Order: sequence, then C-alpha cells, then structure tokens
Amino acid sequence: MNWEKRIEILAARARAEQPPHVDVSQSVLSILTSGQAAPITVAERLWMWLAAGSAAVAVPAAAVAVALYNGSTGPLPEIVDSIAWVM
Amino acid sequence: MIDAGLPTRSLTYRLALAGGSLARATARVASFGNRGGRAGSTPGDADDIEQTRQGDPDAYQRLIERHQEHVGRILWRFSRDRGVHEELVQDVFVEAYLSLGTYRGKAPFEHWLARIATRVGYRYWKEKARQRRFEPFSVEEWDQVSGDEDLLDTLEPDRAAVLLHRLLEQLPPRDRLVLTLRYLEECDVAETARRTGWSKTMVKVQALRARKKLRKQIEQSQTELLS
Repeated sequence: MNWEKRIEILAARARAEQPPHVDVSQSVLSILTSGQAAPITVAERLWMWLAAGSAAVAVPAAAVAVALYNGSTGPLPEIVDSIAWVM
Repeated sequence: MIDAGLPTRSLTYRLALAGGSLARATARVASFGNRGGRAGSTPGDADDIEQTRQGDPDAYQRLIERHQEHVGRILWRFSRDRGVHEELVQDVFVEAYLSLGTYRGKAPFEHWLARIATRVGYRYWKEKARQRRFEPFSVEEWDQVSGDEDLLDTLEPDRAAVLLHRLLEQLPPRDRLVLTLRYLEECDVAETARRTGWSKTMVKVQALRARKKLRKQIEQSQTELLS
C-alpha cells in the first residue's frame, strides 16, 4: 500500500470523529458589548494614514540620502569624518 | 442575556482580545442597506444578519448558535486542545461580526464563516510554528502509520485524527493547510482556493510540494524504523 493510500485511510477514519461541543455565544457577545472589540475613531484613522504616509516617504528618502552621501566627493564627507575623528 | 446593543457604528473596528495576538480586523458595518445574506444561506440567516447589522445582539446569538458546531468542526482540525479550540471558535465569531459589513450574501453564510475559520486556524498555526511549540512524531506513532495496514482501518476515529494531526504538524503551516483541507475536509482545488484566498494555480503548486514533503518524511521514517 502506498503512503498516500495510508493517509487517505487515516483521514477517512479521522473524519468520523465527533468534535467536542462548544458554546461561545455568550462569550462572543460579552467581548463585543464590553468594548474589547472597539471601533477605531476617525481621529485614530487619520493618525494611522498619516503614520503610513510618513513612513512611505521617509524610508525611500533615507535610502536616497545614504546613497547620495556615499557617492558624494564634496566637502560633506570630509566634515563628517573630521567630526568623527574629534569625537 | 446581554442587554446592551451591539456596536453598529460604521468605519473600522479594532480587536483587542485579552491575551490574544489577534491584532486587527477591519470592518465596514456601515451600509446597512438591503444587500446582504439572501442567497443560499441557512433559513433565518438573512434576517438575523440584517438584524445584527442593526445592533440586535439576540440575532447574532442565533447566528452563533446555528453555526458554531460547523465552525467548531473546522477548527478541531487546527487545534485539538479544547481550550485553544474554544478560543479559536470565539475569535471566528468576533471577526465575523466585525466584518459583517463586507458580507454580500453571494455565498452562503456558512461558507463565508468557513473562510474566516480557515484564516483564524491558519494564523494560529503560523503563530505556533514561530514558537516551535510542537513535539516530533514518536517512533510509536510512526509505527502505527507505517505498520500493519489492517490496523489503520480499525483505528478509533479520534486516534486516527490524533495521528494525522501529529503527522501534518511536522510540516510548515502552508503545506499543512493545503493537506488538511484536502484530506480532512475533502476540499477540491476550487474549494481550497476559496477557503484560503489563494489562486487555483497556487493551490495546485502548494499541494504538490506538500505531498512531496510528506512522502519524503514518511519514507525517511520508514527507512529509520527498518534500520
């Protein structure tokens, strides 16, 4: 008997199993009415969008800045290097 | 009975289940128009969905009572720990409530809940896999799976379920999901795609990989047992 046939037999037996009874109606309603599942306010949504927008701009800007700095041959790296040497 | 009405405000809802990592579920419970829950649902679902959207807790309680057995059956494939199982069923109904605004009634409510249950169960597996909270398959268990063929056919259903659960537990969550849906839920490619939200091609590829991994695992163990 191949391995898959074995798994299928096992699965067929497993499907006959009776799962335990659950009653979650009261606990679900308690969660919903207690405010644990609270609505996000308009102000919170605005902050979320603002944070997402800032991150979306900041990450590429930082990447570009690092690339420009590494590629620059002007006085900026020299100044930074001298400050690092002083420190 | 809970007297307070359920929140019906529009916009997005935040889940902050105590101790749970279920972070966020979004919902638009706003448009309480005449659009939901008509096609193919269990009798009474459409009215209860409509009343729930208007903030009637009794209506949602009826929906839970009608469908919790079905959801419980699905989630028993994901966790065999009774405490966890109950928590997962609970999460499904909280998430379903918060997303009720997105239910268009095109598919039966039961199918919609099955998709949420699959998502909740899969998320649980991923969390568990990150924490590596499972034990390797024991020699005795391998012996039962790969041993006498007649024994397999006479196994008690719960023992067979435990063995299969433990065997699939050794696989990564994606592989485990596709095989659980295939073997235990008897889902075809289309149904698996609906339940997981993956494309049909993705389901086929994933199923192929998962079967290969499982076969390799079984063959390896057989070799080890023989040697």
